[in-house]
Amino acid sequence: MSTERIASGDGVVFTDVCKIYPDGTRAVDMLNLDIRRGELVSLIGPSGCGKTTTLKMINRLEEPTSGSIVVGGEDVRSSDAVALRRRIGYVVQEIALFPHLTVAENINVVPELLGWSAAKMRGRADELLEMAGLAPERYRYRLPDQLSGGQKQRIGVLRALAADPQVILMDEPFGALDPISRETLQNELVSLQKNLRKTIVFVTHDMDEAIRISDRIAILRKGRVEQIGTPEEIQTAPGNDFIRNFIGEDRLSQMSPDDSVGMLLEEPWAVAAPSESASAVLERMEENDREFIHVVDPKRGVWLGAALLGRVRRAAVAGKSVVESLSRDRKLYLEDAVLRDVAEMLADRDISIPVLDSGERLLGVITSAGLARLAMNRLRGNRTARAAGEKKEGTR
Amino acid sequence: MSQKSLVDLFITFVGRNWQRILWLTGEHLLISLIAVGITVAVCVPLGIYLTRNERAAPYVIGLANVFQTVPSLALLGFLIFVLGIGNDNAICALFLYAMLPVLQNTYTGIRGVPKSYVQAARGMGMTDFQILMKVQFPLALPVLVAGIRVAMVWTIGTATLASAIGGGGLGRLIFSGLSSIRNEIILAGAIPATLLALAADWLLKRAQEYFNPSARAKRLAKRHGMSAETESNSAA
Repeated sequence: MSTERIASGDGVVFTDVCKIYPDGTRAVDMLNLDIRRGELVSLIGPSGCGKTTTLKMINRLEEPTSGSIVVGGEDVRSSDAVALRRRIGYVVQEIALFPHLTVAENINVVPELLGWSAAKMRGRADELLEMAGLAPERYRYRLPDQLSGGQKQRIGVLRALAADPQVILMDEPFGALDPISRETLQNELVSLQKNLRKTIVFVTHDMDEAIRISDRIAILRKGRVEQIGTPEEIQTAPGNDFIRNFIGEDRLSQMSPDDSVGMLLEEPWAVAAPSESASAVLERMEENDREFIHVVDPKRGVWLGAALLGRVRRAAVAGKSVVESLSRDRKLYLEDAVLRDVAEMLADRDISIPVLDSGERLLGVITSAGLARLAMNRLRGNRTARAAGEKKEGTR
Repeated sequence: MSQKSLVDLFITFVGRNWQRILWLTGEHLLISLIAVGITVAVCVPLGIYLTRNERAAPYVIGLANVFQTVPSLALLGFLIFVLGIGNDNAICALFLYAMLPVLQNTYTGIRGVPKSYVQAARGMGMTDFQILMKVQFPLALPVLVAGIRVAMVWTIGTATLASAIGGGGLGRLIFSGLSSIRNEIILAGAIPATLLALAADWLLKRAQEYFNPSARAKRLAKRHGMSAETESNSAA
């Protein structure tokens, strides 16, 4: 989904970053990470994997030992730390709203540091409160102590947004909340992000949270990026056993019959143009031992139909074009097709299924071999996860 | 000497000497305020400095503790060798005596501000000085005022000893009453000194409450005419 976005340089880019503490601990070890502008990337991993250190190096609360970190095209080490931090929003787990300041004053901490006028700050606080669904006239002068946990962290997020930074860092912001407010805030963040398109770096230890909110998830281990990808990629193709274990059995096996078929798409290897004669196509099919072929308009990629060997042969005998032999009843649309449909169609007839987008263009095909491979992956993932679980049981 | 006659004697003495009593009360208060004023001016910055130089803290606070532990009269006696007799000596002794609570409370008050606030403030781009002025100091203020309150009450009490080394204040009456065995004069000095201490305690207790963060927000809310709303904690 993110391929057409502007590439690196505008977001947050880590190049060969190391952070070694005086006691010799390698918190971050040759980390490379390219977070694009407008993208929400979660950093996740077991404790001690360096995710929080990585985050804090972005606004220089921690200084990297070596390597470079570029935020918005500027190397953080060449910019003034205080000015840099005022340009970057920051939300912490402890919420840390200042208890001696009202809600409005808390929201306007950074604008005040930047020297905004009182009128501008007041307007900004009201605007943000309204955006978060908190009536300004009721909440403006409240104290943090007079808010619920969820409301407090909502103000914590507003505080990070106040000076309208492009980059926002969130350090386990919803970790201290009860499950219900946590989910509410996650959903609010997702819808907020849809409109604002900030570059958000989000540290979490909660895989469900990462899957729910992220454009991409970076799994960290021992100060390195173990795997980075969209939530779907991480779930369908975990890079190794560590990641498989980390994601957890239930999430991998959550592969339900109602899942999208996007992950199964393969390149269609047998494609013909509608202008070809049936006999030419037949020759190719027999040469390659194909039972069928997809006919696609070469200009717009629109799928015209599938031609089965028997019907192509008949059309060839009659000296007709390949178009005469097409059947169009066996196909799936990517938006609404689920794994159950695929399994049923393949059980009915074991030949590959074309998958189209809403404009009838051919996106790829699904084969029974692909489905089998996916199932094998799942099974193996489950078994290793279960084996690890049993080992844990045994030591108890 | 019967109870009744003491009261009579006291009333007569006060009736004849009220101007002097008032003047001595004023002097007593002035000595105490100057001493506490100097203590605050020295110990608050010193306490803040110690939060930034943790290694020096035990020594400095230990020293203040020593002054605190030396009996007050003895401390005044020692200082005669340094400053001679008079109010200067008294104020200096009172300052040394009052150091500990102010220093200690400034130090612990500022250190007691949760690290998460400091970290959040730094992460949002406050300089060290801004963190001190906008976050640490306001949050430490109630603790700090509590320290000043203790120092003030102690100082008003101890200042009665100032006259023992040639200083002024209500101690004059108490000591002259003691030497002439006239209880009404002792009372004429002791009662105002007690009232002064109680009044200072009450006043600073109010100040402590005033500087409480939530009190400030309530004032703000009241000023904007929404007290009822703020009182009800409708954390839904």
